[in-house]
Amino acid sequence: MAVKHTVAIDAETLAGKRFEYQEDISLVEDLDLMELTPGKDLNWLEDIHLLEEDNTPAVFDRYSNSFLKIYFDIPEGREDEIARKVLMKHLISGNSYGIQLKEKHCKFHQVELGPWVADSKSVGDNYQSPVLEGWEPPAH
Amino acid sequence: MAGMNTKSGVVYDARGLVEPDPEPPMTAEIDGDSAVIDATDLTTRKINLELKRIVYDEGVNNVTIVNPGSKHSLGVGILKRCNITFEGSPGWYACGLIDGPEVQINGRVGWSLGENMMSGSVVVEGPAGSLTGAALRGGDLVIKGNVGARTGIDQKGGTIIALGSAGINTGFMMQRGRQIICGDVNDGLGDSMYDGVIYVGGKIASLGVDCVPGEMSDEDQEFINRKFEIYDLGSPPELQKFECGKVLHNYDALEPSERKLVL
Repeated sequence: MAVKHTVAIDAETLAGKRFEYQEDISLVEDLDLMELTPGKDLNWLEDIHLLEEDNTPAVFDRYSNSFLKIYFDIPEGREDEIARKVLMKHLISGNSYGIQLKEKHCKFHQVELGPWVADSKSVGDNYQSPVLEGWEPPAH
Repeated sequence: MAGMNTKSGVVYDARGLVEPDPEPPMTAEIDGDSAVIDATDLTTRKINLELKRIVYDEGVNNVTIVNPGSKHSLGVGILKRCNITFEGSPGWYACGLIDGPEVQINGRVGWSLGENMMSGSVVVEGPAGSLTGAALRGGDLVIKGNVGARTGIDQKGGTIIALGSAGINTGFMMQRGRQIICGDVNDGLGDSMYDGVIYVGGKIASLGVDCVPGEMSDEDQEFINRKFEIYDLGSPPELQKFECGKVLHNYDALEPSERKLVL
């Protein structure tokens, strides 16, 4: 069977699974977007809109450079709001692949879940550079 | 000697350009949810280490940095919501790569304020240098004075507001986002822009390649009024809208990876 090549990166592909909030609007309805963003308006979420990927409604997760598809019916007139809520649910749940990589690969002291979750734990303090087996640093 | 027994093993820099000691100085005065860092005798690295220690480890949400002394790259890489105030002027690359902080700068700033900023806000009471908001991804930059050349170069989101005038090539290669320039703008406004919107209140020396006048909509006016109200900027001036003519650059279905670079 031929390998399917694609240039698209899908959040589900990166995570290895589909998340419940991609299929159930009730899991994102209660999110308060104003509370989740800095300042007195939507701040960075103003640039987040409902897009389409592989003919499916999707929102772009800039923290993992991937599309997060939305499988439930989106009420008319609420497209961007729902896209933003699904994205924020993805981020505050720690499911964004970019966040998952932090534990292992962060080189600098930072909070794991970014600005969306208060009291998130710190990562990046004990980064160890990968060592090539059998390699010795030059003497000089 | 400062820098001895560091994790990196680096203890001395002959040119004096590097702070080898990676430990925070522990000099901030913390009072409940607020803290003050006196930057007078601290190197850039020490100031940023102390800022991160206070915000991340001590859980302090309101930090004031006094005597920043125009040192460069202050307040960079803070990935948490908090309030940071600079009493004085930081230098180049202030508040770059931040994601969440709301920053107040009671002074002026040098080049590349808020470079690659992801979210939050930075309000500057004075002017800002060239490349303000370079590669800005999200959040608001509010400069109450003038801004230099190439403001919002490669901007990929967010909003830049300047109450004063802007230099040449403002919005150069802008890809998304919004700019409100209340004063005049020098040559090459929006040169080679891919997308985004620029509102200008004053005179425009010349438009750049593929930057064309647009039509103001109710959504545009709501956005402008809202931002002016949030940052207490008074009444907005009458603004002209400029956008991309979509002749020079456009994204097509064959280049989805390129499209993602600006999302």
